[in-house]
Amino acid sequence: MKPKVAFFDFASCEGCQLAVLNCEDILLDILGLVDIVEFREAMSETAPRFDVAFIEGSINREQDAERLRDIRARSTYLVAMGACACIGNVQARSNFIAPAENFQRVYGVEDRNMVQTDPEFWPLWAHTRVRAVKEIVPVDFELRGCPLVPEEFVHLVKALVTGATPRFSTQAVCVECKMNENECVYDQGETCMGQITRGGCKAICITNGYRCDGCRGILPHANLAAHHGLLQSKGLSEPQITNRYRLFCSAESLGRVGRTGHDK
Amino acid sequence: MSAFFVHKEAVTQWIRHLARSNTVYFPQRAGQSGFRFKPVKETTEIQFDRYQPTLAPPGKKLAPAEEPLFRYRKQGDAAPELVPILDQSPRILAGVRPCDLKGIHLMDRANREGHGDPHYLTRRTHTILIAHDCLQPCDDSCFCDAVGSLGWRDNADLFLTSLEDHILIEVRTGPGETLIQGMNFPVCTDVAAVKSRAEAQRAQPFGRQFHADLARIPAIIASQWQAPVWEKQVERCFSCGSCNLVCPTCYCFDVHDDFDLTDPNAGQRTRTWDGCMLPQFAEVAGGHNFRPNPAARQRHRVKRKFEYLTERFAEGSFCTGCGRCGRQCTTDIDIFNIVNDLIDHAEANS
Ligand code: SF4
Ligand code: SF4
Ligand code: SF4
Ligand code: SF4
Ligand code: SF4
Repeated sequence: MKPKVAFFDFASCEGCQLAVLNCEDILLDILGLVDIVEFREAMSETAPRFDVAFIEGSINREQDAERLRDIRARSTYLVAMGACACIGNVQARSNFIAPAENFQRVYGVEDRNMVQTDPEFWPLWAHTRVRAVKEIVPVDFELRGCPLVPEEFVHLVKALVTGATPRFSTQAVCVECKMNENECVYDQGETCMGQITRGGCKAICITNGYRCDGCRGILPHANLAAHHGLLQSKGLSEPQITNRYRLFCSAESLGRVGRTGHDK
Repeated sequence: MSAFFVHKEAVTQWIRHLARSNTVYFPQRAGQSGFRFKPVKETTEIQFDRYQPTLAPPGKKLAPAEEPLFRYRKQGDAAPELVPILDQSPRILAGVRPCDLKGIHLMDRANREGHGDPHYLTRRTHTILIAHDCLQPCDDSCFCDAVGSLGWRDNADLFLTSLEDHILIEVRTGPGETLIQGMNFPVCTDVAAVKSRAEAQRAQPFGRQFHADLARIPAIIASQWQAPVWEKQVERCFSCGSCNLVCPTCYCFDVHDDFDLTDPNAGQRTRTWDGCMLPQFAEVAGGHNFRPNPAARQRHRVKRKFEYLTERFAEGSFCTGCGRCGRQCTTDIDIFNIVNDLIDHAEANS
């Protein structure tokens, strides 16, 4: 019997599901290996078990956390798919700002006050912390990046179907950047997150003329002190540096960089 | 063998002519200050003397970053059927500098050792090298003279030296000879005179020099296992591996198999560049890592270039002094400075 695979989306742009659908040329071959069942609505009590559950998006509300726990309980393997699910992504930046301030920014002063005084709005307070999937349930595999890298998705599916151990890069983006023989953006007066960011994306942003902003998250062995010093020596101000570290890596870099920095 | 003294314009025409019926790689601008060896086209600028070492060395054309090694198919219990993938396409590497010429020589030696590496050696057999001398150091990063690469000529098929608006072409091998057949280039009647005029223009001293003779360096480094230099030199290191991947004499790789979606019993083995500065490089089954910290990894890299391989192959140095690692390290860690610091530390403590 073919393994049952399901996709669930939480707070995301659904760009990762799109990236999966963009594997057009081999999607049919993948469908030969697995049965894909897509669930967008809440599951019924009798919902089946899944061999592999792909989770897209960050977890922002308590009801989402509940739904996630339920999916976890029904799944053999759970995969965090994309930067939102793996590290919280850009939306996790809101974690650095007091909830009341966030409400005010989005809804204005009056509604912010309502949220504080009117019990009807109180459940919204549960909506104040953006979490990565692994902060709530154990994650078996991560497909990092914003969006995920289609080749890594295919690689993981193949590994899961055959019981092989998938390989994911734990090296800096610089490795693939050098393999592409790119000129380093530091030699163009730019700065880059590549030296402290997990590779696996084939350094796609630099290869296409931009810099790495770190969407795959900070490496476990990252020399952050040296990187921070390097950005300073290139003339970046403290707030600029904080912004660079928090663009994608917010949740993951908690406690490692910029705990005291202010989001501007 | 024969030698010709040819106007630069005619040399440019000749390279373009070669490129019409061969794949000719020549250093071309890439990005703002970089160069890359890329196939010559009709409009390619052929510029021999304004030179910055290419981002990746030309020798990497013989060992690409991601290289399919063989196709496999398993059938029942029988031994898998293997079909090697060998690249026999002929190529010419032109505008190769002495440091990179030496680099290719060292890669040849490493790849010929033992059983030999058929993938590298097949490409190498089908490669012709047109090298060009350097009369000025290419920038502040190189130190080719200090490691004895500047005068390297051995594996060049043709060796070129620029002198004002002419280029001296020395033919060194049969394959080199075939490339200039029918060109009717003016023969150089007094090679020694042209060379000594070129020699008079060579910078003295030529680029950076070590604080000790090259011959003493392996022993000095061997004596410095505990030196504080190692820790000090990696405080800023990212373990990003760039210094390995741009080095003309780094040849380490990793392999992986990938099966076909349509037939899980068939697939391909591929190798990719690896490097000893990367944290997982010395990790073995069970998770033990022989070199868990950057200082141990840096020490290993320096000892490979200046001690281990130098002794194993009886070559003066496995570092060609091309300067790429220091030039491309984003945090300015430079193997030249590491070696000099070790020499200084050894002298101060002797
Ligand atoms: S990781 Fe990026 S592409 Fe994927 S869902 Fe999140 S925002 Fe969209
Ligand atoms: S551009 Fe970025 S990723 Fe590429 S080598 Fe430089 S620092 Fe590393
Ligand atoms: S280069 Fe950096 S920002 Fe771009 S995809 Fe890779 S990790 Fe993400
Ligand atoms: S020495 Fe420089 S290039 Fe080499 S690993 Fe360290 S930071 Fe990267
Ligand atoms: S160690 Fe550095 S200078 Fe020496 S050959 Fe390698 S890249 Fe060039």
